[in-house]
Amino acid sequence: MRRLSLVAFVLVCAFLPQGLAAHDELRAFQRGSWQAILNAHAGRPMMVNFWGVTCGPCKVELPLLGKFVKDNPGVDVVTVNADLVPNAREAALAMLRKAGLSSTENWTFSDGFVERLRYEIDPAWQGDIPRTMLIARDGKITTIEGIVELSRVREWFASQAIETSPERARQTHD
Amino acid sequence: MIRTAAVAAIALFLQGAANAQMSHHHVSEAACDTAELRCASKVTPAFAPDGTLWLAWMAGGRISVARSRDHGKTFSTPVAVFDQPLKLDWGPDARPSMIVDRHNRIAIAFSIFRDKNFNGEVLYTRSVDEGRSFKKPEPITPSKESQRFVQLALDGDGSVFAAWIDKRNRARASADNQSYNGAALFFSWSKDGGGTYSETRPVKDNTCECCRIAVAFAGSGRPAVLFRNIFPGSVRDHAIVTFGDPAAPGKIHRVSHDDWKTDACPHQGPSLAISPKGTYHAVWFTSGEARKGLFHARSTDGGQTFSEPMAIGRPDRNASRPYVLASGSGATMVWKEFDGEKTTVKLITSGDDGKSWSQPRDIAATTDASDHPLLVSDGRDVFLSWMTKADGYRIAPIKDAP
Repeated sequence: MRRLSLVAFVLVCAFLPQGLAAHDELRAFQRGSWQAILNAHAGRPMMVNFWGVTCGPCKVELPLLGKFVKDNPGVDVVTVNADLVPNAREAALAMLRKAGLSSTENWTFSDGFVERLRYEIDPAWQGDIPRTMLIARDGKITTIEGIVELSRVREWFASQAIETSPERARQTHD
Repeated sequence: MIRTAAVAAIALFLQGAANAQMSHHHVSEAACDTAELRCASKVTPAFAPDGTLWLAWMAGGRISVARSRDHGKTFSTPVAVFDQPLKLDWGPDARPSMIVDRHNRIAIAFSIFRDKNFNGEVLYTRSVDEGRSFKKPEPITPSKESQRFVQLALDGDGSVFAAWIDKRNRARASADNQSYNGAALFFSWSKDGGGTYSETRPVKDNTCECCRIAVAFAGSGRPAVLFRNIFPGSVRDHAIVTFGDPAAPGKIHRVSHDDWKTDACPHQGPSLAISPKGTYHAVWFTSGEARKGLFHARSTDGGQTFSEPMAIGRPDRNASRPYVLASGSGATMVWKEFDGEKTTVKLITSGDDGKSWSQPRDIAATTDASDHPLLVSDGRDVFLSWMTKADGYRIAPIKDAP
């Protein structure tokens, strides 16, 4: 029994979306992290917000995202600190806390070769923030530059709420 | 079974711990954290009229300067412009600006972060003993509001023109409970080789607050400044101003209608060159509705109207950081592209003042972080100046440059 419990615990840990285990944590976003995030949330609609401590519009946007997360528990929201000026960890965490996002799945760019990190996410992205990606169940990505309109995000999540059959999903994807 | 499960659990724990630990550290874009040239994140070159190559670079929290009398093969012992570490503005478009005049006076300006909110302050310094020592850096303006992206340019008569992005009018508007988009373009002159600067004056309100600006001379006393403007509707397209005389900024002209409506910070400013024939060459990045990527346009009427923008580079290769230089017989342009593994500096040249351009060719590459590629001329040859994390600093003449 003890053996089974331990196995179950390990399995649960392994298959939990990474963010669910995180609180007040900034995960190191490195080469391959983007694919890891996509894999961890595959099949679930997800919003990824790229932000930075030095980004003025992000200071306006983050609290709005915090409210969205509070009002919509259970939706997959991920933040990635992609500031073009390296941020102190504490400054980034303080801003997330203030915005009510400290329990969200939060990452921070942790590679000096930021062009490579950005290229893995979107080869055309030059680093401007804020930037939001809405990633549908079928993997289709909608990118929004600048401060996101939350009404649009709500509508998008609502449009993703209906489960599609595997056949339908394939057709949509094609 | 217990052993397998325990190992897996430990592995998960260690992975989490590693992530937590890594996120404590900033992984630098520089190769090392001391003040030597090999540790630099940004390097600015300038040729003195006597052909000496001067470099000013940011490394280890300092601005250091060295010279080379053999076109970059060897350098003098570096001298820091200030003996204490500075909180240098290390945004992607920030770098020290430097000019060297015919008396070998070295004028340098740069910005630091003056507070935790990343408000900037432009400082200037000068050497009158051929770079052996520098005056203690001083603010270029008494204003305490944010200033960034200073650009110095040497006029033919020896005057030094300084322009930068300044938030004083934004602060004033905020105090009056009025909204204000972006920052403003301000300027000043030095008549003593960068030892002192005149009173600061405004050129244009509502410019992009996070992009470098570019300066070139249309004639003596007539600097032209290319900058990312904020047009109505939060459209961050480029505009240009050419001074009628040293005290009179001219009319603002729009360079292109890219229609990049954004309230995000592009962190990517333009480059400008004016040929001896008076042709303006503007290069820039946009992500507008009308066009996306890097573009070049030319003006033959003193910057009043510009040609239809010509696309440069491959947007799917993250084409970025364009830089243009004009010389007697033509123009040279470089930019960076990234293919997922390697950053390559691409080159095109024009022998007819920008009417037509060569096919792109690769002139340098690196596999880690790198500074913007810059062009510099000693009056005879054109050189690529490029700082890279993996391969250090390089300066090399461009073969077949016009």
